[in-house]
Amino acid sequence: MATDDRTPAAAGGWSETEDLPGLRSELLEINMGPQHPATHGVLRLLVKTDGEIVYEVKPYIGYLHRCAEKIAEGCDYKQWTVYTDRFDYLAPMNCNFAYVTAVERFLDFPVPERAQYIRVVCAELQRIASHLIALGTFGLDMGAWTPLLYCFREREEILNLFERLCGGRMLYNYMCVGGVRFDLPEKWREDVLEFVRWFEKNKIDDYNTLLSYNKIFIERTADVGVISVEDAHAYGCTGPVLRGSGIQWDCRRNDPYAVYSHFEFDIPYGTGEVGTPGDCWDRYMVRVREMAESCKIIRQALRGLPEGPILADEIKRVLRVPAGSCYTRTESAKGELGHFIIADGGTKPFRNKVRSPSYCNLSVIEKIGRGLMVSDLVATVGSLDIVLGEIDR
Amino acid sequence: MSRESTTPPPGYDPAREHMLDFKVDEQLAQLVVSERKNFILTTIDEVFNWARLSSLWPVTFGLACCAIEMMAASATRYDIDRFGAGAFRATPRQADLMIVSGTVTAKMATRLKLIYDQMPEPKWVVAMGSCAIGGGPYFKFGYHVVKGVDFLVPVDVYIPGCPPRPEVLLDGLMRLQDKIRGRKGKFRPPKWVQDYAQKIPYRR
Amino acid sequence: MQDRDIYELLAGKLEDAELAWREAGPEAYALVPAARIHEAAIFLREDPRLSFDLLMCLSGIDWDGYDESGKGKSVDILGYNPDGTPETSDRVAAGDLGVAYHLYSYRHDHKFAMQVRLARDNATVPTVSDVWPTADWHEREAWDLLGIRFAGHHDLQRILLDEEWVGHPLRKDYQMPDRWTEVPLAGQPYSKNPFKQDNAPPAGGDDSGEG
Repeated sequence: MATDDRTPAAAGGWSETEDLPGLRSELLEINMGPQHPATHGVLRLLVKTDGEIVYEVKPYIGYLHRCAEKIAEGCDYKQWTVYTDRFDYLAPMNCNFAYVTAVERFLDFPVPERAQYIRVVCAELQRIASHLIALGTFGLDMGAWTPLLYCFREREEILNLFERLCGGRMLYNYMCVGGVRFDLPEKWREDVLEFVRWFEKNKIDDYNTLLSYNKIFIERTADVGVISVEDAHAYGCTGPVLRGSGIQWDCRRNDPYAVYSHFEFDIPYGTGEVGTPGDCWDRYMVRVREMAESCKIIRQALRGLPEGPILADEIKRVLRVPAGSCYTRTESAKGELGHFIIADGGTKPFRNKVRSPSYCNLSVIEKIGRGLMVSDLVATVGSLDIVLGEIDR
Repeated sequence: MSRESTTPPPGYDPAREHMLDFKVDEQLAQLVVSERKNFILTTIDEVFNWARLSSLWPVTFGLACCAIEMMAASATRYDIDRFGAGAFRATPRQADLMIVSGTVTAKMATRLKLIYDQMPEPKWVVAMGSCAIGGGPYFKFGYHVVKGVDFLVPVDVYIPGCPPRPEVLLDGLMRLQDKIRGRKGKFRPPKWVQDYAQKIPYRR
Repeated sequence: MQDRDIYELLAGKLEDAELAWREAGPEAYALVPAARIHEAAIFLREDPRLSFDLLMCLSGIDWDGYDESGKGKSVDILGYNPDGTPETSDRVAAGDLGVAYHLYSYRHDHKFAMQVRLARDNATVPTVSDVWPTADWHEREAWDLLGIRFAGHHDLQRILLDEEWVGHPLRKDYQMPDRWTEVPLAGQPYSKNPFKQDNAPPAGGDDSGEG
């Protein structure tokens, strides 16, 4: 690369200072990561900057590539549910859900209603927990310590509930092909309703007071990292990233799976309330409002919870899935999580490709990272809410 | 812990331990005394060890799921700050503990080694989670996974779990503190570890 | 619009191409010849009746050893033995490679699935990353893990593995590596007791930089 291209002037920025002719400056190529406190995991961003403005940002991933798709070809359908937890380790129930829904598309017997309702409740609780971490770490990137601790405190309550349900604190392996593993323990339903009541009444206002309408937070995030609708569609952004740009599209509403069509809930989307539609604040606010919607869904699901078995009787110890191929998508906390499974009639999948939302969400940073300041780049990456376990699989 | 401190001094007969009487057995008394440091140096050792174990500052090296449990351990319910280890330093040059939490992949291995080498002595490594101990669930088909971080750096404490609960992480931290409390003098990793680990190159 | 109708429209647009429609399984897909995929992509995105503006997923596939009869007798993959050494085999794979495209339209709310079959020794297919920029990273991943070349891609490099990695791991005949440039990838045997004092360094640590 010629030296001329490396000057800020050649890249479209400011030129040499007039009062010090002959003072040459170059673009600086620095590494953010892979070990970095503000990249959410082992992500490496190669940033070309003149010190403050970013001229080019190139993400390098693969530092957590754990060969999950190869493992899928080597172990059974039922065994692989364990690995789905480790993709998005902040929302493992959603990842479980996506995989078992994808496998059940091939099977010709239905999953029991009670199992579907329990799955929805777990997925929505998990969505709240995942958004709590998203908000907390987003605030941490801006320098706010307190929201992180508040969010972790609420998350511990949810993790308590999950631990009573299935024994796992963070990675559950709870949903299995054909249903769920364990039935609800004593008083779990009442405790979840109590949690939802407490959360909806007190906590969301807490976060709004503490962070959302905080003047400094708004200064840091409004009009920053705007993703237009065309960019969002082109780069495959889904989930809160897409809804923050103004599209009211949700896989639970527009392409329903499980029993989501039985429930009523709104889809929050970004309107540019304090800035431009599609900026970091909009994406953040979509997540806050989605937590309230999840509370609604949980209440409706628990009130209408039917009795019955929790595992389909037709599931044998050895599960053979009929041949074929299918792509199934679900709405994870981060976006559209899909599995493209090719089955060959045996006990192991022939090919299982995971389409993870963070993979596509992160690819947009190459386009919108230009022209941001370095601290805005941190804010934008935080607002995309990526999880490297999902990106690298 | 160095190998020398666990072997008894020559001339020590465990069968006669109950009969130790220094007035009678002058030679043995000389041996035992000469192996021990004097009172002042022992107390200084204790003081330094106490200072080090009470303020173990970890470097932020969260790789995967275990990192979230590490964050939960530093949150309010399982506060790690009451052990003095709450100041997670982003730069390894100011840290003395590396909690390898998560799977180490081939691409990350050289960077891990770089971070470890940038930490000043004395430094300790805690392998948290089954991926860091022995490859974890990715043992059988993981072509990109290093089957345990002890192939790369010397590990002091292994914390099993997938992921280990924050309380277990705190328990592992306390065991590490016990290990530091019993230190005598300088700590060096065994020679074969130094030779082996030196072969792993850095990557730009 | 039903996907059969979309297929008819596509077949009408590419008149002299040999398209096929496969319906076995929960999802039906169109089999498109590799040379015409770019034309098909542009048509699918630009035509106002179709307007597929989202490429949901682009996956590479290795069809080697696939059991066509559906009895589940596909060839197994190789892994690591319980003592940590890689399994070896002399089998040379000979099947096709493939790419699968899954499209969705926000405007008309319909989906479509396409597949391409490629010969193993000449696995090149035109890129669609100028039609849907999200394919950029998906195609890099297919190249990285399966060795499928995408002609016309602006920067076809490895994305998940290191640039100097050798081999394409998701292929069915891939043998697990023992090490990768000094980083050991073989494991210790399961029965090894880490608390024994005679812990010798793992095998392979004495080479002097062969890589």
